[in-house]
Amino acid sequence: MSNSFVEAFSFIEHHGDLLLDQVKVHLEISAESVAIAILLGGPLGVLLGHLHRFSFLAINISNVGRALPSLAVLAIGLPYVGVGKLDVIIALVVLAVPPILTNAYVAVDQVDPDTVDAAKGIGLRPLQVLTKVELPQALPLIFAGIRTSAVFVVATATLGGIFGGGGLGAVINNRESYGLDGIIAACYVLIVLTFAVQLLFVGLERAVTPAGMRATRSSTRSGFTRRRATVVLTEGGVTQEEQSDLVDQGSRT
Amino acid sequence: MKNTRPFIRTIAVGVAVAITATLTACGSSGGGSSNQSGPTGSATPLPGKGKPAITMGDKNFAEEYLLGNLYAQALRAQGFTVNLKGNIGASAVIDKALTSGRIDMYPEYTGVIYTELAKLGDRPQSAQQTLQGATQWENERGFAVLDPTPFQDADGVAVLKDFAQQHGLTTMEDLTKLGKFSFGGPPENETRYQGVVGMKQAYGLNQIQFKPLSIGLQYSALDKHQVDSIAIFTTDGQLASGKYTVLTDTKGIFGFQQVVPVVKKSVLQAEGPAFEQTLNKVSALLTTQAIVTMNKAVQIDQKNPAAVAKAFLQANGMA
Amino acid sequence: MYFLAPAADSGGPVIPNFGKTSSCVLDNKTFCWDWFRSNWGSTFEPALIQHIELTAIAVGIGFVIAFTLAITAHRARWMVTPVTLLGSLLYTIPSLAAFEILVSITGINWYTVEIALVSYTLLILFTNILAGLSSISPEVLDAAHGIGLTSRQTLIRVELPLALPTIIAGLRVAVVTIISLATVAAYIMPTGLGKPIFDAIASGGFNTKFIGAGVMCIALALVADGLFVVLQRILTPWAAARRGV
Repeated sequence: MSNSFVEAFSFIEHHGDLLLDQVKVHLEISAESVAIAILLGGPLGVLLGHLHRFSFLAINISNVGRALPSLAVLAIGLPYVGVGKLDVIIALVVLAVPPILTNAYVAVDQVDPDTVDAAKGIGLRPLQVLTKVELPQALPLIFAGIRTSAVFVVATATLGGIFGGGGLGAVINNRESYGLDGIIAACYVLIVLTFAVQLLFVGLERAVTPAGMRATRSSTRSGFTRRRATVVLTEGGVTQEEQSDLVDQGSRT
Repeated sequence: MKNTRPFIRTIAVGVAVAITATLTACGSSGGGSSNQSGPTGSATPLPGKGKPAITMGDKNFAEEYLLGNLYAQALRAQGFTVNLKGNIGASAVIDKALTSGRIDMYPEYTGVIYTELAKLGDRPQSAQQTLQGATQWENERGFAVLDPTPFQDADGVAVLKDFAQQHGLTTMEDLTKLGKFSFGGPPENETRYQGVVGMKQAYGLNQIQFKPLSIGLQYSALDKHQVDSIAIFTTDGQLASGKYTVLTDTKGIFGFQQVVPVVKKSVLQAEGPAFEQTLNKVSALLTTQAIVTMNKAVQIDQKNPAAVAKAFLQANGMA
Repeated sequence: MYFLAPAADSGGPVIPNFGKTSSCVLDNKTFCWDWFRSNWGSTFEPALIQHIELTAIAVGIGFVIAFTLAITAHRARWMVTPVTLLGSLLYTIPSLAAFEILVSITGINWYTVEIALVSYTLLILFTNILAGLSSISPEVLDAAHGIGLTSRQTLIRVELPLALPTIIAGLRVAVVTIISLATVAAYIMPTGLGKPIFDAIASGGFNTKFIGAGVMCIALALVADGLFVVLQRILTPWAAARRGV
């Protein structure tokens, strides 16, 4: 059995095509889901943050979203849309929107009020304040939210393999054909994929962070970024949402 | 002192967590598998009394749930102690569980043993030949194959009846008329001769697009027109509805598939002759009509497989 | 003779009537409330109880391990990176694969399920407990030292209580995560709220099971989440004061 951990590498060698095909399907489903989630959650979160409205809802939706059990969401879709890609994408979108929405809200809501006042003071209209002042400062945290979602979606898309979504989950669900070697091989690939997506978004975050804010970021060698504790301050203390965000950077399922 | 309240709270949380964990650990039993012995207190001691407990497994679909329950409950009625582990997986997985000793027996299909497990390259021409080949192979590995059931349950390919009429499909060869078409089925079909491989080799259906679906979800996918054709079992309860056309397997790629209990030889020895007799008695009762009716009760009427098995055994004086 | 022979005249087995079925079930409508109610005790309630047990044990054991590691790492800082790395690695393994791989080693039983679930809690709990301990300002520690508390007393009387909000936040995330992952356990062993879901998959897709078990699982997770929010508010009134509530 312990042999399988080594055999898995030769599986990758011999079944490279199969794995590559499934990686493509996997990434396709993930990318589509994240894109839709960004469209649904991003502008809404930004708008609410700009208006400083519905804060309770916007902040807590990520808690609710995080609590949703993935398999349950996938199963509930079945009576309505049947098996296949659509069910998986709908479920992934439902799970991906909350972190994006909450982070977008908090990011824009928490922009330094003095800067916003100054902008208004020099005569910028609300839309310009949003695009020229608030958004640039909010981008790092927005991207952090997208990153959380993306990593989570890539991991959860694996479960979609049970429901006809394809991807690496379809390899894992097929122990009959591919054996333990195949399952472990798919695991290796998925772990690498997850870290790659993680790194990609860390890079994107860095790219959109204004130079002035960059100095305060630090990252551990493992590639996880520890967010500054003061970035998300609400009501004068560190909220639990922030504390759990410190951890909620990995994948799940 | 002002300091003690936080201190007490910390201890309270720690104790609460520890107590919860301990209580639930003590409260939980083996969970997930049933472990019972049969009735006691009859005048003649039941043949199973005092015999070592055995572990039986079943595969991951409705008919196997029924088979596992039928055999296990009949044995328990004779006093045997049977630990039934349900839903272990498809053939290769459950066979591994058998050979590694995690289970002592499970119900398998003769054709699957012959072609997919033993991988004997030729195609047997009769149910008898299939049984012989399967029995010989299992015997060599140290496992006994008991009497087969009258019913056979082979894989098959089905399409919606309207679709069949529209495209003039009655046999599997007719599928070539479709050119490219999609075929949904359990993932293992992709690499099985009694699946996609055979469809390509024997029928030349090279334009087949396989869509893996967990067993049981195919009918819903076909109903929603998400696939053109699906893999079915010929004894599925859904087939009685008349909505589907099963295409004739003229080249016989799906083989002959009677069910046989596969039991470790040493276990068979240890349990005594009544063990084998009981299993064979149950198998003899399983005609096509019986199994299809039971499948229908589970798959369509959503009855509990254990309850259906019990009712059947009771009606036939075996429980 | 131990059993009766089957009816001689029919030449085959007696096939009993297995009972009536409502049209809702036969048509596999989205949700059949009657079926749900009559099968609550046999199907859904046991699944719920198993699920709660699975979660409680996993989080309980995970907490004990993570707590020990965190307290040790708090003093021996070099431990933080390796433990975090290991925890991250375990966390990234997809649950489907983790259960399958473990079955080959430890078999189909609760140990397998719990080993997998406990591994998933480690990263969350370790990081949060450690973060809680690390976020205490040095002045407070100085003050404790100043009034003569030993290192151990400081830990128990000062650091842990102050770290409590963060620890509870970590427990909250861990519980909710494990409730989600425990559904996947039914892939290898028929237990928990995943069982009705996987059973339904194997038996043709009975919608009432999907919806019933799915909604129950979501409700369980949300209730657990809410309980922890309340727990935190009760246990840490001083944090509430800081929040300005």
